[in-house]
Amino acid sequence: MEAKGARELFEGVIDAGLCASCGGCAGGCPYLLPYRGRIVLMDNCLLSDGQCYQYCPRTFTDMEAVSQKVLGVPFSEDEFGIVREIFLARSTDAEIHEKGQDGGAVTALLSVALAEGIIDGVVETKMDDNKIPHGFIARNREELLGCTGVSYEPSPVLEALNSLPQESAEKLGIVGLPCHVASVSKMKTYPPKNRMNIDNVKLVIGLFCGWEFSGGFRQFLEENFDLPQVDKFDIPHHPAHTFDVYTKSDKKSVELEDIGQYISEACSYCWDMTAEFADISVGSGRAKFKGWNTVVVRTKAGAELMDIARKKGALETQPIPIESIDNLKRASLNKKKKALSSIIAKTGDKKNLLYLGISQDLANKLLV
Amino acid sequence: MPDIAIDAPGTSQLFMGNEAIARGALEAGIGFATAYPGTPSSEILGSLAPVAKKMGIYAEWSVNEIVATEAAAGASLAGVRAITAMKQLGVNVASDFLSILVMSGLGKGGLVLVSCDDPGAISSDNEEDARNLAKSLGMPLLEPGNFQEAKDMTKWLFDLSEEIDSICMLRSVTRIAHSRGNVKLGELPQKEHKAYFDQIHDLRDVKPTKFMPHPVPSHHAALLKKLEKARERFESSPFNWYVGPDKADLLIITCGSCWFYSRDVVKELKLEDRVGILKLGTLWPLPEKFVEKHLNKSQKILFVEEVDPFLERSVMEMAASLPPDSPRPTFYGKRSGHLNAYGEMDQDVLIKVIASMTGLTYQPRDIEYAKKAEELAKNYVPERSIAFCPGCPHRATFWSIKNTLKLDGRNGFVVGDIGCYGLALRPTGFYQSRSHYCMGSGTGVANGLGKLGQHGFNQPVLAVCGDSTFYHAVIPALINGVHNQSNFILIILDNGGTAMTGFQPHPGSELNAMGEPAKFISMEDLCRSMGAHVEICDPFDLKNTTATLLEMMAKDEGAKVVVMRRQCELIRGRKEKPPYKVHVDPDECIGEACGCDRLCTRVFHCPGLIWDKESGKSRIDEVICTGCGVCADICPQGAIVKEAA
Repeated sequence: MEAKGARELFEGVIDAGLCASCGGCAGGCPYLLPYRGRIVLMDNCLLSDGQCYQYCPRTFTDMEAVSQKVLGVPFSEDEFGIVREIFLARSTDAEIHEKGQDGGAVTALLSVALAEGIIDGVVETKMDDNKIPHGFIARNREELLGCTGVSYEPSPVLEALNSLPQESAEKLGIVGLPCHVASVSKMKTYPPKNRMNIDNVKLVIGLFCGWEFSGGFRQFLEENFDLPQVDKFDIPHHPAHTFDVYTKSDKKSVELEDIGQYISEACSYCWDMTAEFADISVGSGRAKFKGWNTVVVRTKAGAELMDIARKKGALETQPIPIESIDNLKRASLNKKKKALSSIIAKTGDKKNLLYLGISQDLANKLLV
Repeated sequence: MPDIAIDAPGTSQLFMGNEAIARGALEAGIGFATAYPGTPSSEILGSLAPVAKKMGIYAEWSVNEIVATEAAAGASLAGVRAITAMKQLGVNVASDFLSILVMSGLGKGGLVLVSCDDPGAISSDNEEDARNLAKSLGMPLLEPGNFQEAKDMTKWLFDLSEEIDSICMLRSVTRIAHSRGNVKLGELPQKEHKAYFDQIHDLRDVKPTKFMPHPVPSHHAALLKKLEKARERFESSPFNWYVGPDKADLLIITCGSCWFYSRDVVKELKLEDRVGILKLGTLWPLPEKFVEKHLNKSQKILFVEEVDPFLERSVMEMAASLPPDSPRPTFYGKRSGHLNAYGEMDQDVLIKVIASMTGLTYQPRDIEYAKKAEELAKNYVPERSIAFCPGCPHRATFWSIKNTLKLDGRNGFVVGDIGCYGLALRPTGFYQSRSHYCMGSGTGVANGLGKLGQHGFNQPVLAVCGDSTFYHAVIPALINGVHNQSNFILIILDNGGTAMTGFQPHPGSELNAMGEPAKFISMEDLCRSMGAHVEICDPFDLKNTTATLLEMMAKDEGAKVVVMRRQCELIRGRKEKPPYKVHVDPDECIGEACGCDRLCTRVFHCPGLIWDKESGKSRIDEVICTGCGVCADICPQGAIVKEAA
């Protein structure tokens, strides 16, 4: 691991346009505060080896070391990482369906994990009245249902994890985007100091992600929508061409190309579409499987939870067609290629891949 | 504090220069005294107010210096002797009125203005030499060279003021104002004041009053005559004297506290037989004949005075107009580069100059010894920078301001003002204040910044001012901002008094200078009546204060006001016990580790927090901690614990 502090974090990541605002640097630190989509430096920290730098998903990440520690296997060079099982799933719970995005598989899985005592709480994103996303710990089904829905803005989820007291013994699940999962995976690989025991994180559910909106997007939302009245945001597949904003009585659609300027620069450097270090990764079922989720089980812990969920009847599943898998592979590979070329365009050096600790062979293969 | 109203003529009392001035005013039989507090002048009214009732006078902390001067002039118009006191910067504030008053003349009551200057700017934002104002405005000027003179000159100036029908000025400096010396007392007059304005509109004999400048040229001519009359009086004044040989190798011309320094240096160098000192007390108009008599004492004349070459220029100007066969000494001083026209004078500076001018070598002590002594002395100096007091509400306010501006992220900034919170230019206020001029200027400057939207300016502007400063000079600037819809937030740091100068009351106080009930003027009602959006915060509630500031900053809708209301800890602490008992739990404190990096002692750094290098933990300095509990709210580890005391 590189030993650097907040100063270098700002130089190398935040001011360099790489920050995904995941919150991995914040929460356990009085100097870094996530606020409305930015990480704010409140004062100068003089440390030269800060955990902020260490756990940032955009500072150097030794993929092999993380894979060994988190997944217990060598780093997979497959299109979307390690796969134990892949299938389509949806919740059998009407309430979850109503409130959740797509098939509600994530909420269903977490409900089971909470009910079974696998975890005591879930660190995830909750939107406030103005639909500003922030980290939240849901400790029961009701709180969990209060966190459904997708924000499409960067959420500093991990601030909530890092804010927990050191002596906290709660068993936790985490739901996050690939950037969140990458940060947590680094924490698991190199356990934090003066913070809660990272071994208490028993379950990591990753969400598929292509990109998020940032920058002027918040202002766009505030100027165009009565946000407290908004029930849900959605970018329906496929082909994705609109951003839909639902209120109780109404739905407004914005053409994606009209708000393309708000797509976060940071996301162009992200190479992970499917949260490859998660126990279970979940995306939407596409096209004709609207209302379903694509579920990728990666680890033993993930598989065990799936078994229980199936037994409890919390999830309904069906096999995923081979062409959907191919599409997913293509999309994931495409993101990796794009990210690599964006990174190289930024560094001007094929050997300087910024955070991406992969072999030069793999990089060369992807760049073809 | 000594009793300046003690009825013991002929006895000697140990008085501070400012108390001597106040005593002089009492001996002159004043009936009226005003001032606006400002170091080093504050003890003049500060010592008159407590004895005001006993002495049958009225004493007032006025809203600002121009009103103080105008009010004192009002007393003069009705035949009552009045004194007004201020620091050098205050004379600027009063100068608009003074420039007219000198032409109109006074009523039957004598009027004296005291300016206490601050060479070296120990407690000021400039080291302006108010002697120049006396000259440019046209006020006869005296400067005491010791404590006895401080009293005697004040008393005599009232006589002169009435004789020549003009306001007169006494200039003092910090080292006279704030030092103590023996003062032999005179009689206290047993006099009943009968105030009456006699220039009434009398139908039998209708004429305009003289209390106006018109016709200006003739009033101006009259003023010049008054000044000539003052000069005549000065020629024979006992406040001017010469000590030294008839023929000297060097003549020092000096005044004020520099008289002390000159005398000490001549004595230290054993030059009493070679160097003469001409000490002047009546500085302007210059007693030219008296000075001329001494010009032939030496071929070399050195001017020793603080800040501007005031005497130096006056004497050179006079010498230039002397007949051709007059003595032509060489003048030394600021013009020649022997002394600086800035900073305070002291014996160390002067002794080097005089030694070199008289061909002596002066080495106060062995160089090696001096070095060792300095190093040793440094060991006893605690590592502490100039800072807000422990428990000061300003620290909490600027903490929230800093956090708000960082979170807001648009490079907003603070334009500062004059008061304790001027320290926000320094680490103790987290460097938040980015500019700082004169009373009320923060809000004035914010007016301009807040109207630059059309030129692409979009940074949030915060103006800060204290409660006393608000009443003194901010109100017109706020009116301007509200009226013109300038985008700024005025943050009034209301700690319940004029804290920096010793907690004098102001129009937001319920008692006046004499401790009597006064009409309280609510700053928030005043601001709301202008149409400004006003919020009131408790600065110790960091969370709400930050939230309020963020919310107000989010919208550009003209000038807005936030009142940060918390009593100055120095006052609260005298009346009440600390609200909390605060301690650091060493098991929780992680010190320099990641997750803290000494936030409390390195960034927040209240003097009540100590960094214990040996243990690598913070702890509370129980001697000076006031138990405000704010540090417990900023500690990221919850290691600082506050318990209700």
